[in-house]
Amino acid sequence: MATVRKRFGATDGWVVMPDSTRHYIFGFVDITGVPEDRIFEYRGRATLLAPLLQVYEGDEVYLTLTNLGFPNRPDLDDTHTIHWHGFPNQIPIWDGVPEASISVPVGRDFTYYYRPLDPGTYIYHCHFEPVEHIQMGMVGPLTVRPRLEIDLGGKFAYNDESTAFDREALVFLTELDAEPHYLLENVQEFDWTEYSPEYWLINGRSYPDTVRPAADPSLPMQPYSSLIEAYEGEKVLLRFVNLGYQQHSIQVLGISLKVVGLDARQLRGYNGEDLSRWRNAIFIAAGQTVDAIFTAPSAGIYPLYNRNWHKNTNAGKSFGGMITEIRVLPAP
Amino acid sequence: MPVINLWAKEGYLSTPDGNSIYFWGFAKEETGPALLPGPHIIAKQGETVTVNLFNTLSEPVSVFFPGQTAVMVEERPVQPQYINGRLKSFVNHAEPGGTVSYTFTPTHPGTFVYESGSSPHKQVPMGLYGALVVRPADYNPDVREYRTAYGAGTDTEFEREYLLITGEIDPQLHQAVEEGRPYLVNRYLPRYWTLNGRCAVDTMMMDDVDYLPHQPYGSMVMGQPGEKILMRYIGAGVDNHPLHPHGAHTRVIGKDGRLLRNGGTDLSYQRFTVLVGAGQTYDLIYRWEGLGFTPDNPIPTTLPNLRNMGIGDAGWTMWSGSPYFGVKGDIPVGVISYNEFGEYYFMLHSHEELQITNWGEFPGGMMTWIAIYPSLSPDIGVLK
Repeated sequence: MATVRKRFGATDGWVVMPDSTRHYIFGFVDITGVPEDRIFEYRGRATLLAPLLQVYEGDEVYLTLTNLGFPNRPDLDDTHTIHWHGFPNQIPIWDGVPEASISVPVGRDFTYYYRPLDPGTYIYHCHFEPVEHIQMGMVGPLTVRPRLEIDLGGKFAYNDESTAFDREALVFLTELDAEPHYLLENVQEFDWTEYSPEYWLINGRSYPDTVRPAADPSLPMQPYSSLIEAYEGEKVLLRFVNLGYQQHSIQVLGISLKVVGLDARQLRGYNGEDLSRWRNAIFIAAGQTVDAIFTAPSAGIYPLYNRNWHKNTNAGKSFGGMITEIRVLPAP
Repeated sequence: MPVINLWAKEGYLSTPDGNSIYFWGFAKEETGPALLPGPHIIAKQGETVTVNLFNTLSEPVSVFFPGQTAVMVEERPVQPQYINGRLKSFVNHAEPGGTVSYTFTPTHPGTFVYESGSSPHKQVPMGLYGALVVRPADYNPDVREYRTAYGAGTDTEFEREYLLITGEIDPQLHQAVEEGRPYLVNRYLPRYWTLNGRCAVDTMMMDDVDYLPHQPYGSMVMGQPGEKILMRYIGAGVDNHPLHPHGAHTRVIGKDGRLLRNGGTDLSYQRFTVLVGAGQTYDLIYRWEGLGFTPDNPIPTTLPNLRNMGIGDAGWTMWSGSPYFGVKGDIPVGVISYNEFGEYYFMLHSHEELQITNWGEFPGGMMTWIAIYPSLSPDIGVLK
């Protein structure tokens, strides 16, 4: 197994919504391999979502967190952590809960170590004042690929040939309440019990930005597209993550989804029974992940949307929010 | 035959931010304080239970038992109650100053809730709820294979067990009740979220602390490595809560008081977040074994000088100062460590993160810890 060395910086930045509003965020930025004398060039360049952490089962992962500080809020000297949400048998020093171990002050480094033993879809996020830091954007996707991919070649969600797929896509759900973002930009307090988002995001973007390409220059801090493309007949794995503060119900018009994994566990009984199930709505609570596979039907556009209809808006205007498209192309 | 007396009374609960909130709860005795949640009812499969309700409140109050069948009042099945043709209670109630007596025989083991069936949109959030645990008929806490949630042979043995009951509090609605103003449920907006009636950090305090006379139940989950820790979740509020324990997945073995098994097929499953819906119950086994790091098998990273790190930003920490289990290290001067002898702490909390605040201030709300100790008295984690 490989040794993976990564370095993420914690800093701030800005995101834009399709209605041209601009929102202050906290987040992470990938500074792996950046020379020490250049890491400060990444201050203020946090991305939403944070960089994808993708490893294989059995890898040794050394993840260094560097607190780069907040150039837009130089008075704010919060510490940060990384919590690998769902890591089994974790010890507190790498669990990222500051009240039970260590957090990283501005200008300091700390290295987390993980040896992922189970494949699946996970999440990482900052756990310092998590109410504030998660909503502000310190959230990232984390996938552990199964050993079976190395043994057999090809792509699998779990160590089971029934979870084979051709393409995969992340459907990472969060919400954005503009008020705390505005207040934190302006050194003000927010009462979190008043939380009331008006933007609903997939992979850090709101529709129609969701269907723009990855690394679109108009969205410099929101590098992830959620436009899903496949050829007819291909198997597509959707990795659903909910790191918002609400429950969501996601549907794909015209496509049924076979749920094969929940919370980074394949749906198998204790005696190996196949417990995967077909669903037309993925109901997902905050802090859960769902792995679902579908076979791309005949060519066309299949909308993916939130069945809580009010979440298909941008600040009240339709269409927007948690909508993206699955575009199926004719087989080549 | 167990007889439980519940006195529906008013009281004031305490929140860690200094608020004192009027509530309604069940007391164990006439002169005792109203409790949030009400007293745990521990029953046994096949043994008849009698619950006597004495109502000292100003409106009819009742108790209903979701998941129980053939609940009787005066030897007749409980019935909805109507006043002037309008539904007042789902079951027979006690008038102000009156009493009512319910009798039932639990037919299967599991975790259940009991709650008021009178104006429940108001009385349940006001605090008239509690836990009912039904032991299997063959339960014997002194014999390992009979110390189970669902009976011998069901693979539900446990070393320790805990109840974690979720709730929410909208203090403005509580104040309206206190002042006799209308209870405008359409304005419901919770500001506090509770586990066993307490908000963090009070959830971390022991049972029966004298400064929380109305909230006797703590929520610290304690055990040893490798132990099977049974956690019984109850959704006693009106909202759903995704409970997320750190450190390990939980294995869900029962739901709504039913073993997750179809014939010979084990339907239990592992999750890192369990959405506890309103009125639902879950029985889960939490087991933390660790990855084997010790001073002789050290962690593969170098810890920075701790003076350069953030430790105890809140003024306190649960950390030992060492990465190793059972080892105490140095904690910076000025930080209070609540770590006793190198035990590990894993947070357990609602992942709707705004719910881990007290009226917006983190830390608070629906949050507690799972503490794994090198050794722990067998008296810890026993439901009373």
